[in-house]
Amino acid sequence: MTFRVLDPTNEATPPLGTQAPRPASLEGAIVGIITNGKEGTLGFFAHLERMLRTEFGVADVIRRTKSNYSAPADAHIADELRRWQAVVTGIGD
Amino acid sequence: MAVMTTRFVSAAELMARVLGFPGYKFAIIPHPISSASDEALCDAAAAAIGQAGGLLLRR
Amino acid sequence: MPLTARGHSVPDFAAAQELYHANGWTDGLPIVPPTEDAVAACLDWAMTPPDQLIGIEPVRAIPLTAEKLAINAVMAGCLPMHFPVVLTAVTAMLQPEFLLHGATSSTGGCAILIVLNGPIRRELAAPGTFNALGNADRATSVIGRAIRLVLINLLDVRPGGIDRSTIGHPGKFSYCVAEDEEDTTWDPLHVQRGLPPEVSAVTVMAAGSLRQIMNEWTTEPEEILETFAAEMRANMRHYSIWAGNYALVIPKQLREHLQAAGWSKSDIATFIHRRARIRRGEWAEVGKRAVVRGQADAEYAALESPDRLLVIAAGGPAGGFGAVIPPWLGNKSTAVTLPVGACIDCGPPSR
Repeated sequence: MTFRVLDPTNEATPPLGTQAPRPASLEGAIVGIITNGKEGTLGFFAHLERMLRTEFGVADVIRRTKSNYSAPADAHIADELRRWQAVVTGIGD
Repeated sequence: MAVMTTRFVSAAELMARVLGFPGYKFAIIPHPISSASDEALCDAAAAAIGQAGGLLLRR
Repeated sequence: MPLTARGHSVPDFAAAQELYHANGWTDGLPIVPPTEDAVAACLDWAMTPPDQLIGIEPVRAIPLTAEKLAINAVMAGCLPMHFPVVLTAVTAMLQPEFLLHGATSSTGGCAILIVLNGPIRRELAAPGTFNALGNADRATSVIGRAIRLVLINLLDVRPGGIDRSTIGHPGKFSYCVAEDEEDTTWDPLHVQRGLPPEVSAVTVMAAGSLRQIMNEWTTEPEEILETFAAEMRANMRHYSIWAGNYALVIPKQLREHLQAAGWSKSDIATFIHRRARIRRGEWAEVGKRAVVRGQADAEYAALESPDRLLVIAAGGPAGGFGAVIPPWLGNKSTAVTLPVGACIDCGPPSR
């Protein structure tokens, strides 16, 4: 005997986001790094910063560490984003 | 540019989709970072830089 | 008000099982097929319209409605009388300080511990005695399971998806305990956390797996509690050194010694706050020398303050056993306590 059962999921499709436009070059740019501060990130981002400067001509690299590595970036970090030409962040253990 | 270690690629793909960016491209580096030597971290950074051009710049 | 969830026609019970399993809508166990009548009955009992917004998961801005929670509650085996607890638990989990997304996605693999207090325990036949943190009774089993199904289906918290737990623990099936308020002189947990004794309440905590202790060889409060403190120190050494909410489950045999000596939950918390501490240098004794970094003498406390300890009177009447339930990862998530009640014409709580 056929019966009807209900969908338990939220059935919603998230609205599509828009990517920030990419610059033609990072020469002289300010690049921000948003780090979760976990073990290993210090060394990784130190090397990355050096390479951003030497290979892409980046002028300044600003490092910001989230106050809680399991939460999104703090509001004050998100506010700072608009002053950077590019941002690097990541997930990993 | 988002950088993911290999073991978090599926998480990144899922999060991109649920946040409205299906197919979002990111850099991939070896896993893990927490116990990696400085030499390995340097190699990982180089791997990320190698992918950075295609992700950060207009082509 | 009509239900708006998409419906699926199935020819029989077995087909319903395979539909839900194939779509990744279960925890691996059989589900109770959520028919419209069963879902409506939950909503009617809780006096909650189906489109009532229970809350929004803050990180991904996902709205959770009463109808969708009721569907998952029915699937878990909840009867209508269990549903108000599910609503309250989810509302509590959605408070910003609980950090639901972090707690449920972390490799750390915690589960959601749910503690029941107040008169509703008796209505639901959840005594909080034998097997208190195992399969103690129908109510705690299905309520805990409903929470897991909500996470799976409404927040995509599936293994390898959002849920990156490396190991996880069995509490992810169901992790719900009722406090044995009738057989203790202590204030119930919800009263300790600021609610009146006559209300029913739910406390949620992002929690690791429980660690049992045993000390049946003393009646001295300090000695009994030292065993609990030692287990907390072990967690700090072996898992995470960071302070957060810890829960202690103290069954009757040990509880009676503490009560006879006049110790209240506050006294217990003060003692534990003082004793559950380690030095960073102890990490070197357990294979973590690499991160001592010249700070061997730095002291770390398991609790930032005594009121971060949740003391729960629960468990069977015999056995010098107790349990320590550690936090997910320090104070990234804070336990939340909310009263149970039908919400009429209101939005999510502001706290």
